[in-house]
Amino acid sequence: MTSTNREKSVVVIELQGGNDALNTVIPYNNPLYYDFRNNVGIPEGEVLHLDGEVGFNPNLTPIKPLWDQGNIAVINGIGYPNPNRSHFRSRDVWYTCESEKIGAEGWLGAAIRDLDARGENVLTGVNFGRGLPRAMVCKGVPVASVANLETYGLMPDIQDEKSRQYALEAFSRIYGPTETKDIVAQVLSETGSNALKGADRLRSAPGLYSSSVEYADTPISQSLRNMAQVMSAGLGTRIYYTMHGSFDTHSNELPAHAKLWTDVSTAIADFTSDLEEHGLADDTLILVFSEFGRRIKDNGTGTDHGSGGAAFVIGGGVNGGLYGEYPSLRPEDHSEGDLHFTNDFRSTYATILNRWLELDPVPIVHGDYEQFGFL
Amino acid sequence: MANRDVELIGHLMRRAGFGATREQLGAYVAQGYEATVESLLDQTAEQRMGDDLIRRFHPELSGMMGTLGSGENWLYRMATTTTPLREKVALFWHGIFATGYPKVIHGKALSDQVRMFRHKGMASFRDLLVELSQDPAMIIWLDNQDNHKDAVNENFGRELLELFSMGVGNYTEQDVQECARAFTGWTLGNREYMELRSMRDSDWPYGRIAWHFEFQEDDHDFGEKEFLGQRGPFNGDDIVDIICQQEATARFISRHMYSFFVADEPPVPEWPYTEPQDPAAIDLLVQAYFDSGYDITAMLRALFNSDFFKDEAVWYRKVKSPVELVAGVLRLTGEFDRPRKEILDRYQQSIFMGQFLNNPPSVEGWHQGTDWIDTGSLVERINFASQQLGDATKPGVGAMVERIAHTPSVSPEMLVDACLDQVGAIQVSEDTRRELVDFASVVGSPDDAGHGRIAEVLQMVASTHEFQRA
Amino acid sequence: MTTVQDIPEIKLLEYRMTLGMTTMEGRGFYYPMDVGIADDGRMYVSNRSLENVTRGVRVTMCDIDSEYYGTFAAYGQSPGQFVWPSACTLDSRGRVYVSDEATHRVSVFDREGTLLSTWGEHGAGEGQLDTPSGLAFDAADNLYVADTYNHRVQKFTADGRFLMAFGRQGSGAGEFNLPWGLTVGADGCVYVADWGNDRIQKFTADGAHIASYGSSGRGDGEFRRPSGVAVDANGYIYVADWGNERVQVLDAAGGFVQKLRGEATLSAWAANFLSVNVEEGEARSRANLEPEIDYFVDDPHEESSHIEKYFWSPVSVKLDRDGNLYVTESNRHRIQVYQPARAYA
Repeated sequence: MTSTNREKSVVVIELQGGNDALNTVIPYNNPLYYDFRNNVGIPEGEVLHLDGEVGFNPNLTPIKPLWDQGNIAVINGIGYPNPNRSHFRSRDVWYTCESEKIGAEGWLGAAIRDLDARGENVLTGVNFGRGLPRAMVCKGVPVASVANLETYGLMPDIQDEKSRQYALEAFSRIYGPTETKDIVAQVLSETGSNALKGADRLRSAPGLYSSSVEYADTPISQSLRNMAQVMSAGLGTRIYYTMHGSFDTHSNELPAHAKLWTDVSTAIADFTSDLEEHGLADDTLILVFSEFGRRIKDNGTGTDHGSGGAAFVIGGGVNGGLYGEYPSLRPEDHSEGDLHFTNDFRSTYATILNRWLELDPVPIVHGDYEQFGFL
Repeated sequence: MANRDVELIGHLMRRAGFGATREQLGAYVAQGYEATVESLLDQTAEQRMGDDLIRRFHPELSGMMGTLGSGENWLYRMATTTTPLREKVALFWHGIFATGYPKVIHGKALSDQVRMFRHKGMASFRDLLVELSQDPAMIIWLDNQDNHKDAVNENFGRELLELFSMGVGNYTEQDVQECARAFTGWTLGNREYMELRSMRDSDWPYGRIAWHFEFQEDDHDFGEKEFLGQRGPFNGDDIVDIICQQEATARFISRHMYSFFVADEPPVPEWPYTEPQDPAAIDLLVQAYFDSGYDITAMLRALFNSDFFKDEAVWYRKVKSPVELVAGVLRLTGEFDRPRKEILDRYQQSIFMGQFLNNPPSVEGWHQGTDWIDTGSLVERINFASQQLGDATKPGVGAMVERIAHTPSVSPEMLVDACLDQVGAIQVSEDTRRELVDFASVVGSPDDAGHGRIAEVLQMVASTHEFQRA
Repeated sequence: MTTVQDIPEIKLLEYRMTLGMTTMEGRGFYYPMDVGIADDGRMYVSNRSLENVTRGVRVTMCDIDSEYYGTFAAYGQSPGQFVWPSACTLDSRGRVYVSDEATHRVSVFDREGTLLSTWGEHGAGEGQLDTPSGLAFDAADNLYVADTYNHRVQKFTADGRFLMAFGRQGSGAGEFNLPWGLTVGADGCVYVADWGNDRIQKFTADGAHIASYGSSGRGDGEFRRPSGVAVDANGYIYVADWGNERVQVLDAAGGFVQKLRGEATLSAWAANFLSVNVEEGEARSRANLEPEIDYFVDDPHEESSHIEKYFWSPVSVKLDRDGNLYVTESNRHRIQVYQPARAYA
């Protein structure tokens, strides 16, 4: 079933710590892969073949059906010039679309501002997790950050229901309309009552939701379940964000990476089933990215920070397939021992902003980047 | 009900420190206002959680491999020191000389910069600027390691003039160039290796290696320069000398000081077009700057003893920054009588509220005032303050509850007033007080002499907007 | 740097090698706090990691030949997990004991890291613990525990039954200020690093005070917040002089013998890292790793933060059966091994 009047939304899943792209979309047909990945490689027999050249890591099995249905665009070789191998800096580049200087606003924060130009809905962007990623930070743009939807709101620590009710009533009066000319008091009051309203609306979402999908008991599955609840409550949220990690697999990579991808792909598979069930599958687009890939050559038990990654765009509205050129593994083509990026992440952002959210991408990604055909 | 002397000292402590308990306020009132200002300016007798204790139980607060250690360490200081003005001044300079993790990628280098603010931030502004120009984190932050004799990078030279001392409109583009030339060769020891480690976020094989300043004579331009109308073969120190002589520098720093300690000024980019709200106050600070030979302590003394600072019209005019709010709450709760793993959570709260120490949003630092407040951050601020102050198992809260329970607070009005007094003699509007009294009269059972009701009222007091303000 | 005394040094130990490197998971250490050494030479390194990071907290198993045998345990409150893992030691049967300063427990594992038991209860009463740190067994498999915030040492059976306690808060003989590492000598005497009092104290097995060594300072035979102590068969006392970022050796009477500042070289794992990450290895080879620096503060901690080969937070000293001394440095995520000097071997 498809709905007609829904606004399109974007779900961003950040794989925090630097996902090993080579072991995610595996060039199993290239002998160089096995030369470099002597200790930390995936045997050809286990790879889920996509096109005769590359294939998914076996722990992506839960989302393989989405690929088969043409609902996954794989963007190989995604990155940016002069790659930075620092987690913090590289995340910041992805967050702010500024690879040369320190950016001031997040790309999704800017998108939220443009989607809700008059600032009418404090729930246009919602982050699931504590603290706000800089991707969603933009001056004057309120974004809710939800650690747990069931307990979200003001003074959740008051256990006694009656006491909490008294406290919230007192709060709403203290932060109610004020006659004062004191500008600070005005801002606080207005923001306080908005926060109260936003919290009430968000907290109502679980009660309005029912689903036959049973999510796994992992943080990423629970975050996506919370997103499904907010989506089905129709609160007007357009941008959803969450992170999962850590993909920083310097050692012990094979078992650690397997568990991470099992959790992520199981969560995505359940989430997309849930969206189907609620008729939201064609209006929701999922972007999965990581701040960088890892070194081509393993270090014995893991891989160190590298560049050139892989991103996924998933959804009913997506033209599935392989996008972006797969980076060459030949030593002469390496970028300081790493995969050389073949396409700028801002192309993917621009495609989503322009063709999915119908926004002007140029001021957000700071440039006119070529767009992909996955939308 | 607290009297005006107590409330005035309360105002002083919110601005010159991170607030104070009612008992501390009483002791300050007993010694008098000016003596209290002097004791804040005197940093010789500091007591606080020792570095040895912090390092013993929190090795990351010693090795600083990650993004949080430097700020956590700082929060311990803010929450436990007996010389809070020093930390407040360090925070003041951190906001102006805003240096951030995303480019530096070295927690100890950032922590060392704050340590430098602590040591030099209340002495001569000239010495502070020289130290700043040699600070390894600042060098990386503003690319001065790329400022060479034969290839000038003007980033640091420009920001030194624009953001750190004079403000736009008081120098020419040529001054920027000449300034940058004077700082060529001011770089980092082992630049290539350290820069690469920073770029790669590398703590291998054996953790971070601290950075140090190096003057590379053969990369320094010793040639003649013309800067702000003076000529000579200036080196960086000479440039700082000339900067410090400028009226514009005195005005710029004074205005920053007024905005941070007295009442918010508009954002810095508007300064060339907007008069200060209190020009006489700025004049007084400028006078103190020149009379004392650029001594910051002298400026602070003049500020805290001035009528414009004591004026009730500026009380509660500022919104506490997240770090100020968190540190202030921790000083009230007294939770950190010893190192505890909870420091991490408390510190992260300030990040959730929008202030990540050593990670300002840009080179211009944080936007102050009402910009701290949006729906997300306000929820975090209120939940944190009310949860902490409503928890009577914390030693400071337990002590407040005991004291309130021992005063005859039979009526809801008296209970509310006692709570407001205990959290630092804060004033609230008549409306807020009425709501608190209504709340106090419905929570708890009528014959509840017990402490639960007091804790609930304290929790409500912590959620008022007055508590969010300084 | 000021040295108030300079006593002629005897070179009892010489540098041998460095083990380990920084990793948050798997092969390597992350803020190691202690090492327990089995009779067969297998090492168990307790790692504190970053707080609240679910990775990193673990016990790493390896040996002096840099063989890696895996890790066990993780961050958490459940049995067998740690929040603030601290000391690590083994009983005569090769079982591994790890203290946890945040959960106030001692956890016991078998040789391969399978949890056998967890005991310990928070409090100040007899047998209760407040921030247990140092651990050491006597020859009869009784366990001495530094009960840090109770300022005492408690003695338990290997399965956690309380036997006795000694010490209280103070600076007098037999009193403690936040004791940390401890050890049992060949003669059965207990040596305690009395951290806050800047001294080592020696007790009989029953807790009677015998002697105190050292006082506050940076000179020879003086200490700044000592964190660990080991004693060899000849009675030489090895002290992790943590706050001074060095190790000192004292003779059986407490006289100064030797001081070590650290001289780390590349471990096998570190060398492997630099061979995979070629540019880093090359840039490192061009760097001056012992620069002359005008320090902002005169403080060994500061010096160690800049000079990588020096000890930085040398938190524990342990001896193996061959008389090798293992110095665990939490801030450098490695262990420097010293061996008996040839002249004395």
